[in-house]
Amino acid sequence: MSLRLAALVLLLGLGCATPEWAKPTIPEWEKSPPPPFDAPVVQPGRLHRETLPNGVRVLVLEDRRLPAFSLGVLITRGAGVEAPAEAGIAAYTAELMESGAGQRSALELAGVVDALGASLAVSATWDSIGAQVAGLAEDRDLLFDVLADVVLRPRFDVHEAERVRAESLAALRQAADDPSTLLGWNFASTLYAGHRYGLPESGTPATVAKLDAAAARAFHHRVVTPGAAIVFASGDVDPAALLERIRRTYGAWQGPPLPDVGPPPPVPQQRHIVVVDRPDLGQAQIGIGHGGIPRSDPRRLEVQLLNGALGAGGFSSRLMARIRAEEGLTYSVSSQFVQRHRAGPFAVFTFTRVPKVGEVVTGILEELERIRREPPSAAELARVQSQRSGQFALALETSAEVAGALVDLDLYGLPPDSLDTYRGRVRAVTVEQTSAVARDLIDPARASIVVVGPAELLRPQLEPFGDVEVVQP
Amino acid sequence: MRSERAALLGLAASVVAAGALAAPYEDPAARTRVTPFDNGLTILTLEDHTTPVVSFQIWARVGSGDEARFTGLAHLFEHMMFRGSTNLAKERHQQLIEERGGQLNAYTSRDETVYYTDITPEHLPLVVALEAERLANLDVSQASLDDERQVVIEERRFRTEDNPEGRLFEALMALTFQAHPYRVPTIGWKSDLEKVSVAECRAFFDEYYAANNLVVSVAGDFDTEALLALLQRHFGALRKAEQIERNPTEEPAQNGERRAVVHFEVAGPIVAMAWHAPATGHADADALDVASEILSNGRTSRLYRALVYDKPIALGAAGGYWELARAGLFFAFAQVRPDVSADEAEALLAHEIERLRNEPVTEAELAKAKRALEVGLIVGQGSSNALASRIAGEWLAFGRIRPLEERLAAVRAVSAADVQRVAQHWLEPSGRSVVQLLPPPAAPEQHP
Repeated sequence: MSLRLAALVLLLGLGCATPEWAKPTIPEWEKSPPPPFDAPVVQPGRLHRETLPNGVRVLVLEDRRLPAFSLGVLITRGAGVEAPAEAGIAAYTAELMESGAGQRSALELAGVVDALGASLAVSATWDSIGAQVAGLAEDRDLLFDVLADVVLRPRFDVHEAERVRAESLAALRQAADDPSTLLGWNFASTLYAGHRYGLPESGTPATVAKLDAAAARAFHHRVVTPGAAIVFASGDVDPAALLERIRRTYGAWQGPPLPDVGPPPPVPQQRHIVVVDRPDLGQAQIGIGHGGIPRSDPRRLEVQLLNGALGAGGFSSRLMARIRAEEGLTYSVSSQFVQRHRAGPFAVFTFTRVPKVGEVVTGILEELERIRREPPSAAELARVQSQRSGQFALALETSAEVAGALVDLDLYGLPPDSLDTYRGRVRAVTVEQTSAVARDLIDPARASIVVVGPAELLRPQLEPFGDVEVVQP
Repeated sequence: MRSERAALLGLAASVVAAGALAAPYEDPAARTRVTPFDNGLTILTLEDHTTPVVSFQIWARVGSGDEARFTGLAHLFEHMMFRGSTNLAKERHQQLIEERGGQLNAYTSRDETVYYTDITPEHLPLVVALEAERLANLDVSQASLDDERQVVIEERRFRTEDNPEGRLFEALMALTFQAHPYRVPTIGWKSDLEKVSVAECRAFFDEYYAANNLVVSVAGDFDTEALLALLQRHFGALRKAEQIERNPTEEPAQNGERRAVVHFEVAGPIVAMAWHAPATGHADADALDVASEILSNGRTSRLYRALVYDKPIALGAAGGYWELARAGLFFAFAQVRPDVSADEAEALLAHEIERLRNEPVTEAELAKAKRALEVGLIVGQGSSNALASRIAGEWLAFGRIRPLEERLAAVRAVSAADVQRVAQHWLEPSGRSVVQLLPPPAAPEQHP
């Protein structure tokens, strides 16, 4: 073969395979993603579960990578069981549990924990009260005792009760300085007037002012009860020894039956528009939404994927693409279906400079309408499914995160194998299912609009959407 | 139920135990491999297959402390890095990562700009290709810049202009540093953000995003040899800069207290004070860290006791040592209750700082503080992201990764006399800058 012919053969790719260097390079971003990495969430033999005769559920996850551990007790009831008149009692009780327990005063309790470089935290959410200690594995015995005292034997000292009440009242006044807190409070009261969900999670000045040690003691007795308790541990622990200790400490605990989660919230079917007047602000906080679903709703996975496409998927979501990326109107916009024991709100939250509020509200309402009219396509859904599968692995990197996710399933009575089946269930969701939840669960026509900012400048921008009510912060 | 005596014994035992961990602990970062490329790029790899996650980070040795003419440029540029390149449309980079379940973000400080992606390992080749693409072919167009400057101005309103803590911090830095570029807020002044040009952005990129000003740090589930080969292919040809300019300005000595008042629509005042402190790596750093812990860590800390618990005039009070590459800051602040005067809280804060200077801390306080620092050093490396951040941060600051045992030994060596000595040296009243954030003058809350 002459040289010329050889060159021609090479150019035409005749007679032999194209050499590696001559192949056009396909950029990584144009290649199909490799199949998702599917691994069991919990390594076999690491997870130990049992239920004590009194109803206490126990979950221990062994992980000896770091010489550290955490231990907690989650009570599956929180602010959601409060009557509106006692709003704030769950948060108040949680704070008092941390302020003296067993033989130790508030400062003695803190002294034990601080001396170990450890942490102790008790807090309440809408659905739970959680007490947790974390520290080095070598300190686990003392921290175990501290936690047991906090959960089973809080003191509710009168002087601590008065101190915490005064602090809570001052904190409520100060929290109202924050425009996004004001938005959250007023968004809730607009949607859920008359229901516990309509008041701040930590209560109002009027309800908190009535709280005292006796009220906290009674609430603790009613709610912190074995049937509501999940004891969980993760990290560098000896499971057999720890389980035995948990049985000894929590096995004899008795208490009243698990209280009901509280009544479902009524949600207005018509739009309300509320402006919280803050003339000093240059940037307005915006909330748009209506009622949503409870955590136990069988459509929760379809809702999660739909919401990923709409506004919870970062730069891949429609709201972020339009309001931030295309129009540069905000730094952040997101949508959420807040899922509690009862149905929490569906909400879009964002902020923008005051003169652009009307434009942003229009954009959000149009995107809500569009997701009903043009629900996520097969390609869009596939992207969100891939996103959720990957995020799932990232969110479960540490044993504390895995234990937290397992406890969360127990909190809402969801199947204990939900983590292991999650990716498969995500892949199985269809376009028809997400389209159906878009139609059924999103409705811009009845979405209320709440904005915090200068009323004088906001009112004319919001009047095209309906009657505007102006309230003071 | 345990007796009072048993409880006290438990407390005593824990105090004695504090400061010395029972078992030696293997430092995961000890396995870090350092690979220098010919173009000056440094690669740090820490392979660990425990969980199927990898954190890929690029640390650029440039922050707002390097800005010369337009403030906020380092941070604005961080935003521009997501606005597309020759082969990728704007935001496509984020979308490609997010669609695979990865998390990516970036942040800018006074000394560095960090881009990170946490993702499952099968997508690592994509991450490398995307990072190489934007470093080689970034598109800085007028339209992109105009959109993004609006986003950053919104971020500035959110974090600073409509935020009392943001306003206070901005004022405190500008008061404390009168010459050093650390005085400028990292997010920049609004007027600069409005005017910065495409040419300025490009010049900034050319100067500071050269290979020898970057460190790639990767921790988690990957194969080191395969990754290094991939990085060589994608990053090996990146340009090296001959010279990288740094601001030469140093802060002159402060001779006398400085004070400022900021008015903002708040129910209760906020008081903050700051002193000049040494840059990172200084011999006094560990003693200053211990002083921070004694002031601020937990409900038994001095500031919590003095301002929140014993005399409840604040909702929160804390202080700490903030070490930066070229200078440092020691600060204390209190969120004052609505019906209390800022002056009263300031006097208590100042009193607690003076106590640190005038009398040695107790052995129990010292042991507790050291224990907290030790625990923080050990448990703060549970994720790939935390490990990649630690090794990159140490490399930028010290040119090496300090072994955990060295860090623990340095903390353990701090004595009560050391804490008093550094407090006397660094926390002089005449070197103090104080900012009070108060409700507007007409508001009735100011003088109850």
